Amino acid sequence: MNHEDDAASAEVPVDGLLSAIQSFLIESAAPHLEGRNRFNARVAANALGIVQRELSMGPALRALDENAATQWLSTLETDATIAQRLSRALAKREIQDDPPFFNYLKQRQLLVTAINNPKYASRSIAEARWSSTVC
Amino acid sequence: MLPEELTEHLNSSLLPLLADTLEGTAVTDLERLSGGANNETWRLSWGNTPLILRRRPFSAGAVANLEGNILGLSLVDEAQVIQLASKTAVPVPTVYGVFDEHHAIGEAFLMGFIPGESIPQRWLNDANFAHARNKLAYQCGEALAHIHAIDCTNLPSSIGPTTLARRFEAAQTRLHAFGDVSPALQYGLNWLIDHAPAETPHVLLHGDFRTGNLLINDQGLAGVLDWELTHQGPPGEDLGYLCANVWRFGKLEKPVGGFGDYADLIAGYQSVAGWSPDLNSIRYWEIFAALSWGLVCQTMGALWKSGQGDVERAAVARRRSEAELDMLLLIDEWEDR
Repeated sequence: MNHEDDAASAEVPVDGLLSAIQSFLIESAAPHLEGRNRFNARVAANALGIVQRELSMGPALRALDENAATQWLSTLETDATIAQRLSRALAKREIQDDPPFFNYLKQRQLLVTAINNPKYASRSIAEARWSSTVC
Repeated sequence: MLPEELTEHLNSSLLPLLADTLEGTAVTDLERLSGGANNETWRLSWGNTPLILRRRPFSAGAVANLEGNILGLSLVDEAQVIQLASKTAVPVPTVYGVFDEHHAIGEAFLMGFIPGESIPQRWLNDANFAHARNKLAYQCGEALAHIHAIDCTNLPSSIGPTTLARRFEAAQTRLHAFGDVSPALQYGLNWLIDHAPAETPHVLLHGDFRTGNLLINDQGLAGVLDWELTHQGPPGEDLGYLCANVWRFGKLEKPVGGFGDYADLIAGYQSVAGWSPDLNSIRYWEIFAALSWGLVCQTMGALWKSGQGDVERAAVARRRSEAELDMLLLIDEWEDR
């Protein structure tokens, strides 16, 4: 994110706020805490990173899921997410396990881990294997 | 519970309990150790003897209606299994006292403190542990074979016999109970069912034998901790669990727990059991271990949503995505062979 552009508009965007809270937790609060609370301050700062990444990559994940819904879900249900409807269809063996569906799951998982834990070790192996596959 | 309150309850209970075994008159140096999203671990001293108290801080009622064994044994049953293991060559702490959920201390047990390093980031990287790391995969094979030889007829009734089919059903029940939020875990469970190995005789499994639950000294394996997920199953399950990606702590090139190679683990196991576990079976159970980790993460999320637990538990729930990634990656690699 380009902070200079934001300075011109004097608007503090939501991920700017998250960065500020993150800095507060790590630089100001954690050094004054002990034991469990100090540990949790770092956990909380990391969790704000997840929030930040979900804000930026959430729309791409939703688009991927909506595309999947048109391909593999037949009925319209409004009280369940696409992920839930896909899970339930899989449990009932209503979705054929073919390469296009497996590819969708792989692409989806690259996005989900990019949000939740981009540094997870096997993610880079998965990315190298899957980034060339067409969804 | 506040440390002051816990100290008071411990003092009144331990004086009669330890009178014949350990010198001491009061608890000193009580300190909560960090880590452990499930049970509390406290360090304390009684006289000159350092001790460890494992304590369950929340009521298991919130998730007790769910099938399966994810939250594990009561601490009372866990203590009983550790006492059984202490009669074998497996290094485990001495159990000094067991308290049930009605006790003022809460559900807990008190055990000896084994010196050693448990924090993976330290012993996996420190050059001082290089010798220990070299021996460790073989030692883990030996220890697992000893655990698997424990007579299942002596177990607490909560550790009953089961079948693979019932394990799959339990996993499916949990995926449904947690709201069917993960297509990847469901896809993985379907795959595990479709590729299930033939049923073989079950043995006592540690159930959580991995980097993070092992105590290491300069000679290698000094202690096997955290027996709360003990259950019955095929031997390959414990071996695959130890090799699961999530428990390699980033060192994927070392398949056994981030420190060793398959051949040493299998050789250590063979030296005690008299037969060699099959590598394919270990790989299958690595995929199952990814599902188990995903279910643990979901349990943490459910507990947090029911108001039990702090920010760490909420954050662990998000680590479900690691388990999902590993399931898909390992299945992809399996299908590629």
